[in-house]
Amino acid sequence: MSPQTLRVLERFAERPTAWCYGYELSRETGLKSGTLYPILMRLAKFSLLETKWISTEDGVPPRHIYRLTLNGMKLAREKQTISRTGVCVRRAALSGGKA
Amino acid sequence: MIPLSLPRRIAAFLLRYAISISPRDTLDWGHAMLAELDHVQGNWAALLWSLGSAGVLVKHALLSLIFPSRNGPTIPSGGNLFSKEDSMRKPALAITAVCVVASLLFFVAPVFRQAFRVSLFQWQFLLHTDRSRMNPELESILQKAERDHDAEALAFVALRHTQSSESARLADEAVRLDPKLIWVYAIVAVRWPFVPEIDHWVPALERFDPQNALPHLITAEKIDGDQVLRANVTHRAEDRPPSWQSAMAAAFESAKLDTYSGQRKELDRRVLSRYHAGDPELIAGDVCFYGLPSYGFSDSYRYAKLVLVTAQVLETQGDTSAAAEKYLAIAHFGKLLGPDFSARFMQTQQAYTRLAALTAKSSRPAEAAFYSFLADQERQAMEQASYSRCRRFGPNQVARWDADSARRSGAVMLLSGALLFATLFAVFLRSRSLRLNLLRPGRLAIALAASSSVA
Repeated sequence: MSPQTLRVLERFAERPTAWCYGYELSRETGLKSGTLYPILMRLAKFSLLETKWISTEDGVPPRHIYRLTLNGMKLAREKQTISRTGVCVRRAALSGGKA
Repeated sequence: MIPLSLPRRIAAFLLRYAISISPRDTLDWGHAMLAELDHVQGNWAALLWSLGSAGVLVKHALLSLIFPSRNGPTIPSGGNLFSKEDSMRKPALAITAVCVVASLLFFVAPVFRQAFRVSLFQWQFLLHTDRSRMNPELESILQKAERDHDAEALAFVALRHTQSSESARLADEAVRLDPKLIWVYAIVAVRWPFVPEIDHWVPALERFDPQNALPHLITAEKIDGDQVLRANVTHRAEDRPPSWQSAMAAAFESAKLDTYSGQRKELDRRVLSRYHAGDPELIAGDVCFYGLPSYGFSDSYRYAKLVLVTAQVLETQGDTSAAAEKYLAIAHFGKLLGPDFSARFMQTQQAYTRLAALTAKSSRPAEAAFYSFLADQERQAMEQASYSRCRRFGPNQVARWDADSARRSGAVMLLSGALLFATLFAVFLRSRSLRLNLLRPGRLAIALAASSSVA
């Protein structure tokens, strides 16, 4: 899994139940649209991401919103744990096993 | 909502176009990106957003074109809010097809093919097209000539063939069939100075036309070429090998310098009318062909300088008659070079000036005045030629207009062809099918295809 995908998963995991917009995700993860959308498309393809159209106000086109599915949430947590463990192991190695 | 500025409008247009060519299963994603565009802060940020998003959609469009199986619903969508338009309407298909067929039908007319080739000829260097490819009309003349053993037509092709070995073979064949065409050797040798056949052509030419300086100039050029190949180039005439000096001496002693341009024109006229050839490229032949070998003028110039120095040495030694002979030889050769070259051959004027001085010293004032007059005439001719050269490269309105028209029409044809192909490619890409009834060109595509076909 790419670091960019992990970043997106991390962002979703921070607010598991909240729906978010594409532009909002792009700003919060620092990913450009050309990177973000393929990740979202892939996550959706593997049923890890839930998508929905919502109408915000009259005359404004509906917006696509996203949140992780249960499977997606599980995967995000797993990856977060692995990532944290990896960070701890690296920190321990760097500080001579005192961590 | 942010008001629409130019970058934002471009961004929206770009993204909408990307959506129009995107596969069905990415449509919702495309519209999602477009919907977000309205909320992106900053015009240039919106344009960047659009570029990135369009890139994703185009990538999917290309993938679905290359791998048609990907047309299936590979990406689940959050709804079916947007759907693609129906397949290509019949009138649109008919318009596009008529335009394409009409533009291709032009090529049926020989006049159009001819004009097309002439217009593209101007861009040949830019496009790096295969210049060794033979003109199709010339190829057909060659086939007929070989079948009918037509010596003149074989010679005609030999003078224009794009490959040296084939040109030499055809020249040999033409002369074998008709020995009177032996002069063809001279023109082919001038065109292809390094073909091995020159070794037996030059003696044959010397026997055929013993008074002509051309075979000697061809020999001198062959020696120059050998020196270039051996990386042993000497710029001073006195350092050149004795064979070069004797070839140039023979050229200077010759009674005439015939480049056989008259025979060539006659042959061209006969063959072109016999084969009903009308291609301007064939008729014009080598427009830059002056008949002399490439090094012919510079060889003559260097050798004349050498002779001039030798004559001055003889003059200082008191051998005035030998010096005068040398000066006269230079002046004689200068006249042989003809109007195209003699005006640049400044040694003629120098030779006459020296002759005037020499005869004045010998108390022959009438001769001195005559040579002074000739020297003055040469000087005037050189000035006139220099002025003409400046004018030739200066603003000649008609020639410039003709060249510009040909160049522009060639550019328009190339651009129109490229636009037509790009439009067709975009239509196929958008439709993701090569089947005509499934094509879905937009109004823009139809307009572009039609206008490029018309152009």
